[in-house]
Amino acid sequence: MTDGSRSRSSLAPGLAAVALFGVLAAAILGSAGGFGEPAGFPAGESVVHNIGYALFDIDLGEIAAEGFLAAFLIIALALDVALDAAIYLAKREDGGSIVSALTDGGRDIVDGDIHTVGDDPTANTVDRDVDTDPDNGGTH
Amino acid sequence: MVPIEYYLLLSSAIFCIGLFGVLTRRNALYFLMSVELMMNAAIINLVAFSFQVGNLTGQTFGLFVIALAAAEVAVGIGIILVLYRNFGDIDVMDANTMRW
Repeated sequence: MTDGSRSRSSLAPGLAAVALFGVLAAAILGSAGGFGEPAGFPAGESVVHNIGYALFDIDLGEIAAEGFLAAFLIIALALDVALDAAIYLAKREDGGSIVSALTDGGRDIVDGDIHTVGDDPTANTVDRDVDTDPDNGGTH
Repeated sequence: MVPIEYYLLLSSAIFCIGLFGVLTRRNALYFLMSVELMMNAAIINLVAFSFQVGNLTGQTFGLFVIALAAAEVAVGIGIILVLYRNFGDIDVMDANTMRW
C-alpha cells in the first residue's frame, strides 16, 4: 500500500491549495453584499416534489425549474455503462479462461456453462438448456 | 438565513482540500476520495445558488452530479482493481506507461 509514503514534499501543493483558497475567499468576500438577499423558495411548497416534477418534465411545480427528462434518461444510460465497465474491469483471466466478476450462486461461469468452484468442470457442468418435453423424460 | 458567501467559502475550502489531496496523495483510493471532495464542492455551489436565485435547476443539477459521481466511482474502483492486479500496488505513480 502506498500513502504515508509520500516521497514528494507536500509543502508546495499545500501552499498552492492555501493560496487558491485565499484568492477565492478574497473574491467571495470582496463581492459581499453584491449577491443581495436570497430569493429562496415559497413557504409551504415542497422542494422535493418540485425536484421530482423538474426531473420528469411535468408542469405541476410552483417553483421555477427547467425540464430534465432527457438528462435523466442520459444519466440512466451513463450509470448503466459505468456498471458494465466496472464488471468488465473486474473480470480476470486465470490460465486462459475468463473468470467473471459475476457468478451464479458462487459458481463460476466458464464457456457459458456453470460449474462449482474447485470441482471438475466437466463432471459438475450444469446444462443450461432445460428439456421440458414430457415425452423425453421431462427435465434433467 | 445564512448568506450565500458562507456557502461559497465552505465550498472553496472543500475544493482546496480536495485539490491538496489530488496533488499529494499517491494512493489511488485517497486520490479518488479527493476528486469526490472537489465534486462535492461544486454541488454545494449549485445548491447554494439554487436557493439564492429561487430556481430549482441547481438542485436538480446537483442530483445529476451525484449520479455522475457514482458512475465515476464505479469505473474508478474497477481501474484501481486492475492497477492492483497488474502492479501489486495502488500507487498512481506506478502506472507511468500505457503498457498492458
